[in-house]
Amino acid sequence: MNKIMYLEFERCIGCRACQAACRECGDHDAKERNFVEYVDFTESRQTFPMLCMQCKDPACARVCPANAIQITEEGVVLSAMEEKCIGCRNCTFGCPFGIPKFDFETNKMYKCDMCYDRTRNDIAPMCASVCPSDAIRFIDFEEMQQLRRKRTQMNLVEGKKPQEGNKWDYVPEFFGVYTDSQS
Amino acid sequence: MYKFEKSFYSKTSMYSFVAVMILFFSMWFSTSNFVHIDMALLGYAISSAVFAIGLTIRMSFWMWRKATNRVAKRSIGNLFTKERMKRNGKALVRTLIDNIILQKFIFKRGLYRGIQHLMISWGCIISFGITFGLTFGWMRFDLIDSETYQIIVFDMPTITMAADGIFAEIVYNGLNIGAIMVLIGTGMALYRRITDYDVKVTQRFEFDILPLIILLAVTVTGLFLTIMYTFLGGWMHHYMSLIHQVTVIIMLMYFPFGKLFHVPIRPLATAVPMSYQEVIKVDTKSCKSCGQPYSNDDQIADVQAILKSQNFDLQLADGTYLSDYCTGCRRRMRAMKQMNLESPQGNPYGPVNTNNGIHLSGFSKKRSEEFYGLDQDAKEEKIDEPISR
Repeated sequence: MNKIMYLEFERCIGCRACQAACRECGDHDAKERNFVEYVDFTESRQTFPMLCMQCKDPACARVCPANAIQITEEGVVLSAMEEKCIGCRNCTFGCPFGIPKFDFETNKMYKCDMCYDRTRNDIAPMCASVCPSDAIRFIDFEEMQQLRRKRTQMNLVEGKKPQEGNKWDYVPEFFGVYTDSQS
Repeated sequence: MYKFEKSFYSKTSMYSFVAVMILFFSMWFSTSNFVHIDMALLGYAISSAVFAIGLTIRMSFWMWRKATNRVAKRSIGNLFTKERMKRNGKALVRTLIDNIILQKFIFKRGLYRGIQHLMISWGCIISFGITFGLTFGWMRFDLIDSETYQIIVFDMPTITMAADGIFAEIVYNGLNIGAIMVLIGTGMALYRRITDYDVKVTQRFEFDILPLIILLAVTVTGLFLTIMYTFLGGWMHHYMSLIHQVTVIIMLMYFPFGKLFHVPIRPLATAVPMSYQEVIKVDTKSCKSCGQPYSNDDQIADVQAILKSQNFDLQLADGTYLSDYCTGCRRRMRAMKQMNLESPQGNPYGPVNTNNGIHLSGFSKKRSEEFYGLDQDAKEEKIDEPISR
């Protein structure tokens, strides 16, 4: 898998189609695993979508006392294994991005797994496939690089050049799962 | 103690040695110096000892994990604190009954899954109890008179029963009852694993289906033994008992290293009501930013210690850690950071500055002057120039 999830927070229009789609995904048990939230409701109507970063060395897995959070060979960080999870919620506190959710009734943690059955076969995850404003995209690594370059170029056109100290201000967020191999 | 530890290759091998020694001496004691040992079960006894070694190794390595170690240490520390006695007792009883005996949380995931798991787990517990009890000689039957059996546990005589009574029948058929329960449970589980599309998303054959097949092989061969000596007059019984022994040994060897290892780690679930969240859905620690309760102090301290011991640097500029904020605030902080919406004062939870001069929040907004990179000198020149020009 050489595709990545590409998020542009500014493009989010707050329709929550991604959440509705997430609920429909296989194994998601009619519960959404992503977030659409207001940055600051009193200041603007800007919303942002939030998904799991699928860290290479996930803090959630490191703080799990039951060793229940596993990473697939493609690099997707899965929800806690139901038989191991003891329901302590350490993962929800350990995650620097506040992604894992916890269901007190059935005593299990669930988090974005990038719709593992879809992305495993190079099909876009549910949220990316329905997003009407392309705030969430599932694209090739190369395409992502192009988008990033374009974004920097747009700033250059307007006469602003990124400096060493602030170059990251110009880069939109990208993350995802990609391996070095071409398989 | 330190010297004793040094005489072993590692701590784990010391624990394994101790485990095997405990088994050996319990066997010695309960069979009254190996007089009442059941030689037919010797193969099971040896494989059970190897099973004990495997389990000890896995448990040691699991306990060695930073997170597990920390949580277990706090729980054990709390267990022997006088002020917490009431809470501990409650937590232990609640976990034992709700979580382990009745398995309520699995029934909440679905009635089918609840019945399936209850069947497998209790069938296995019954079968394991009887098998280990008989192989190590912890439990045996003595004939007192021609019509009465006595159950002897750890070489101590306990209850007596009529040799052809109903209770005796249940005891004799304990393994059969266990096997039928496991048969029903594994059948249900296999059917679910094969037909349910939701389960197929993350299931792996070697992890999720193989243990079911091993359990099924053990139960089917075991039940065949019963069928052979009751209905077929012992036909092929000897060969079948060998096959059964082989399947049981495979299961015992597989147990500590596969999915079945979730059984010995389950008691750690007591740690949650005992040291962390006492009453379900009631939090006591409030978020540094929004003030909403989201966790409790002990748990956050543990999480921070675990992350620190594994070199995760999640400390902010003001000295707080990301785990000091509730999940919602953490998500917001990340989004604001990415969109450069943080306030110029650098206070991540202060009022939002929606115009940072680079990414515009709306079409009608104007970018700040400094965005266009006009240097100060040029500007000053302009100001100094005469107006007529």
